[in-house]
Amino acid sequence: MEEAVYDVFARKQRSEPLRHIGYVDATDDALARVYAWKTYDEENWFEMCVVRRSHIIPVNRIDGPYAARATGRLGRHAVEGR
Amino acid sequence: MPFTEEELKARVQKGYIVESPEEMTDGYRKALAIQLTVQADTELMSAPSYWMAARHAPSANTQVSAHAIIQDELAHANIAYRLLEDMGISKQKLVYEREPHEFKHPYGFDQPLDNWADLVVANGFFDRAGICLLSDVHRNTSYGPLKRALVKVDMEETFHLRHGEVWMRRLARAGGAAKEILQRSVDWMFPMTVEWFGLPDDRKRHSGQLEYKLKGLTNDQLRQLWMSSTVPLCERLGLDVPAHFDEASQSYVLDYPFPCQYDASEKRWLFEEGRITWGQVFQRWKGRGPMNEIYVESIRRSRGQVSSWLN
Ligand SMILES: [Fe+2]
Ligand SMILES: [Fe+2]
Repeated sequence: MEEAVYDVFARKQRSEPLRHIGYVDATDDALARVYAWKTYDEENWFEMCVVRRSHIIPVNRIDGPYAARATGRLGRHAVEGR
Repeated sequence: MPFTEEELKARVQKGYIVESPEEMTDGYRKALAIQLTVQADTELMSAPSYWMAARHAPSANTQVSAHAIIQDELAHANIAYRLLEDMGISKQKLVYEREPHEFKHPYGFDQPLDNWADLVVANGFFDRAGICLLSDVHRNTSYGPLKRALVKVDMEETFHLRHGEVWMRRLARAGGAAKEILQRSVDWMFPMTVEWFGLPDDRKRHSGQLEYKLKGLTNDQLRQLWMSSTVPLCERLGLDVPAHFDEASQSYVLDYPFPCQYDASEKRWLFEEGRITWGQVFQRWKGRGPMNEIYVESIRRSRGQVSSWLN
């Protein structure tokens, strides 16, 4: 099985910007939604979204923490390997 | 590697925030990896320890609150292991491929919590220790991803502590058998938590954690911070603790030989045998406590099964 990294964004109220609050590993989008909702349950979020890290497109630098695709870092990794 | 050790130490002291593993020096990476492993293992081992104690919850509501705490701890562990994974250290290996005695959680989480009083005092004492340690890291750490991850953790630890304090107050006010059993929990868990903070500053080996700004306070400062809220709490509740505030030194002083030996099967500190060396303490820690293997195995017993269905 292989898991991908998903970044988690959320906001408490409609007037606020979405904020990066953390990240989870999941084998697919559906599980990523569940893991994010269950892991980051410290607030009653007005809105929460997950984004596959490999779908983030860096604009001005390729060495930032979210520039996974550009650097090949933190993209996918095997789990439960033998 | 962009920085030398000396450059990075100087930079972080001036407030520089490290944002990715590529910016770390070897020394920084090593010190952070140890700190995060202790943090992750502590969160992880608190879960089976609290989970087995949650059987003693006196009602459906208390079952829910106890399990909510366990769920938080597992998320905290997952977040800390995930930070290690970013540094190239495998979460799978750490959780599933180490021997139980190789985990780096404190000795307190190798002990059985045998009743509801043990569990709520663990919330009142151990989670308070966690707050002292982690809120110091939160305020001071030079590692950006950890600083942000701790926002959630601190918020939830405060709830765990409140759960512990509310229940300690309830049992203390009830008096009689409730207060007696509460006092018994306090008797073994107070010195256990004092010891958790580790070597006194005058004995402390040089670890790099302060130089790399991975934390702000020393072991003794953290121990004092913990006592400064725990001792007054216990005094208010009419519980005996072997420590008092000393006016002359303006600090909390222990009323028993420290460090001292612990009889894990009797859950009793052997004050009467006097002071032991820190070497003897490390030996006891290394031998691990009675629940070490049981707790570790309870977390990973079903792991191979599901992956064999899926692969
Ligand atoms: Fe925790
Ligand atoms: Fe906790």
